[in-house]
Amino acid sequence: MTAPTGRFFSASTDLMTRLTSQALTDTDKQWLEAHGFLAVSPLAKHAQKFMKARRRTQATPLDYLILVPTLRCNLACSYCQVSRADERAVGFDWNAQTLAAVQRLVRTLDGPAAKIEFQGGEPTLRPDLIRAVIEAAPASTSMTYVICTNLQVINEEILEIFDRDDVQISTSLDADLMTHSRQRQSDIAKTKQFLANLDQLLARYGPSKISALPTIDSRSPPDVDDLIEEYKSRGLTSIYLRPVNFQGFARKRHPHAKSQDKSWDDYYERFLFSLIERNWSEQSGAVLEETYFSHLLKRIFRPGQDRHVDLRNPNPIGRDYVVIDHDGRAYPSDEARMLARSGIIDLSIGDVLTGWDTPERYALEQAATSFGDPACDSCAYQPYCGRDIVDDIARYGTVDLPRHETEFCRRHMHLFDFAFRMIYSNDEAIQYSLKRWLGLASDAVSLGMKR
Amino acid sequence: MIPLALPAQSDGITPYVTRLRRKRTDHPEDSWCLMSTEVKSLWCGAHGLVEIDYSADALEGDVILVNPAAKRIERMLRSGSRHNSLLITERCDQLCLMCSQPPKKSHVDRFDLLHKACLLAEPSATIGISGGEPTLYKARLFEMVEQVLQARPDLSFHILSNGQHFCADDIPRLSDSLWHKVIWGIPIYAATAVLHDRIVGKTDAYERLHESFDYLLLSGARLELRTVLLADNIADLPALAGRISILLSHAEQWSLMGLENIGFARNRWPELYFDLRSGFTQVGEALDIAMLNGLNARLFNVPLCHIPPAYRHHGVASISDWKQRFAPKCTGCAGKSDCSGFFEWHPDELLNQVSPI
Repeated sequence: MTAPTGRFFSASTDLMTRLTSQALTDTDKQWLEAHGFLAVSPLAKHAQKFMKARRRTQATPLDYLILVPTLRCNLACSYCQVSRADERAVGFDWNAQTLAAVQRLVRTLDGPAAKIEFQGGEPTLRPDLIRAVIEAAPASTSMTYVICTNLQVINEEILEIFDRDDVQISTSLDADLMTHSRQRQSDIAKTKQFLANLDQLLARYGPSKISALPTIDSRSPPDVDDLIEEYKSRGLTSIYLRPVNFQGFARKRHPHAKSQDKSWDDYYERFLFSLIERNWSEQSGAVLEETYFSHLLKRIFRPGQDRHVDLRNPNPIGRDYVVIDHDGRAYPSDEARMLARSGIIDLSIGDVLTGWDTPERYALEQAATSFGDPACDSCAYQPYCGRDIVDDIARYGTVDLPRHETEFCRRHMHLFDFAFRMIYSNDEAIQYSLKRWLGLASDAVSLGMKR
Repeated sequence: MIPLALPAQSDGITPYVTRLRRKRTDHPEDSWCLMSTEVKSLWCGAHGLVEIDYSADALEGDVILVNPAAKRIERMLRSGSRHNSLLITERCDQLCLMCSQPPKKSHVDRFDLLHKACLLAEPSATIGISGGEPTLYKARLFEMVEQVLQARPDLSFHILSNGQHFCADDIPRLSDSLWHKVIWGIPIYAATAVLHDRIVGKTDAYERLHESFDYLLLSGARLELRTVLLADNIADLPALAGRISILLSHAEQWSLMGLENIGFARNRWPELYFDLRSGFTQVGEALDIAMLNGLNARLFNVPLCHIPPAYRHHGVASISDWKQRFAPKCTGCAGKSDCSGFFEWHPDELLNQVSPI
């Protein structure tokens, strides 16, 4: 049983019968009231309404920018999601006018904190543009910069940017040398150079400044334990397992990606169980986690976990975050930008010069909710789930589908089923990892109530 | 200990508020320093002369209340301190077992002086309001807060209240955006009415408290919950954490506070004090329940070495600068700068119960 507040419990068949036939006993009612499922007092009623409202995303002012200063890249990975441009191509970088407009935009980030992510292409091909953005940020705002880079080339100029305390580095590490080289269509020497660069930076900064994530081709995924070892041996404890995305180049080269089948789910579960076993057998070591699963767990137990922009409901469009492409076009998400790049559909909502409070933005936002959808409204996981219209458009060319027929729904239905199986598992090792992933310090608290 | 009241001579007649400045300013409420030694300073302003038994260096920027008849000054808002608190009254309608400032029957209305002091506060300061019970004088309190915030939108208030006096009529008023600058610090001591009422020494206090919580929620008021750790309520903390996550999940913070060895708690120390080193299980469970449900739970007034390592990130270096002290053994402890330390009045014989990190 889940409530719109997000609170849940496992109900016995008898209790379910009494609930559905409105034959609750006084003892039932007392239990439901004490555990927040039945509101009697005025405070309880209002508190319940408030919790329910907190399960809806509240759009905050703009505080998260994804910037693409150049589309050029020095690699051509098989799954590249961005239809990158050749390193020597001309006309794929911000021009002076676009840069000035981006700087104007950055100056408006005057809240307490803001985050700017540099994507590409390969943003480190233009360190001058990265610096120009950093210089424009208001001094009173606590800024975080994330530079998403393939770490193929590092030089003094780039290191000077990386050295800043407010800069984080994000890169891709697909698994072992062979897998990584194959997926990047790159030679072994280049991959070796990347690994040397990664290890050099890890030695320089430690693992807390650097995040890496693997892109997994579910037809030939790397061995689970090899993959974990590649990360763990480097002190990288959060691994964000992502399937090859059905966009950009990937759409042309990996047609199977349109419907990831059970093999991905199986791989994902094997990966999670391997993390769980390792955490259990090495309790003194650092806890390993799969980033997305930890996020799902937090969304199940806590309201307001809405900063992962692909999993929230409703999903505000062009409000708290926006993507500015190399040509100044504004997109509601990086995936939307990729769709336009691949010539599938133009989902731009405006541009950095004239803004994006446009009919296009409004039209997308109107659709970006699961409320009112008959399948979602009757789904137990609605308080935790999200609405990703860009994913639907990418796969089906429309947002108007029975929700349960979409890949987004299929995948998340599996993830939430899996999460709740774990929450109610009696296995000590599973409970141990779940509690660490949720940030609990001990094992005394029970995660799943039963009645 | 930083002194909050100092002997002083002045030629004024009635009490007044002034801000101390090293150099002469144009502000009509400022007094400027005429001379200073290591032990005395002389100040001059629109209200006349005041000589304080303290060096000017330490007083510069303070907003003080000069009380000519009592021959003393009170440092109401100390410059650069994050722990400034104004006392509204010493009356209270609860009588908590461990009260650190036992209430008095008499009340002196100082609102006009407090109001003036607030207007002289440093830019963007947060001003604490405490008592006694400030909402016993709710009309005057609300009026002062609103007028100060209208004149000084840069300021914020943190008001301690027992939550016994809010009513439905307050909702429209407290819903005004002006009140977003006010956070209410309200104690809840147990998950059951019987225990809470016994701790606060008032029948039906728990029920009235929840009524107030409802009005505050409907006003969109900002809330900090406070729970003093006592031998009486330790076992109840996990249940309280569960209750808060259901009824009061909108609270910005749940502050679990170590007992102060002062006021009523001084004589009742043996029966009230719970030594967390002898058992952290229930506090730990409460912190984990809070964490699970997304409540921001913090541990105040507890030295870090009394908290198991896995929970230390909940600890806050909370004890106000003017009443903080450390044990001799604390010298060289790696956690000292992040540690609450002890209250100045913590008994010497208990002070050395530390184990440096």
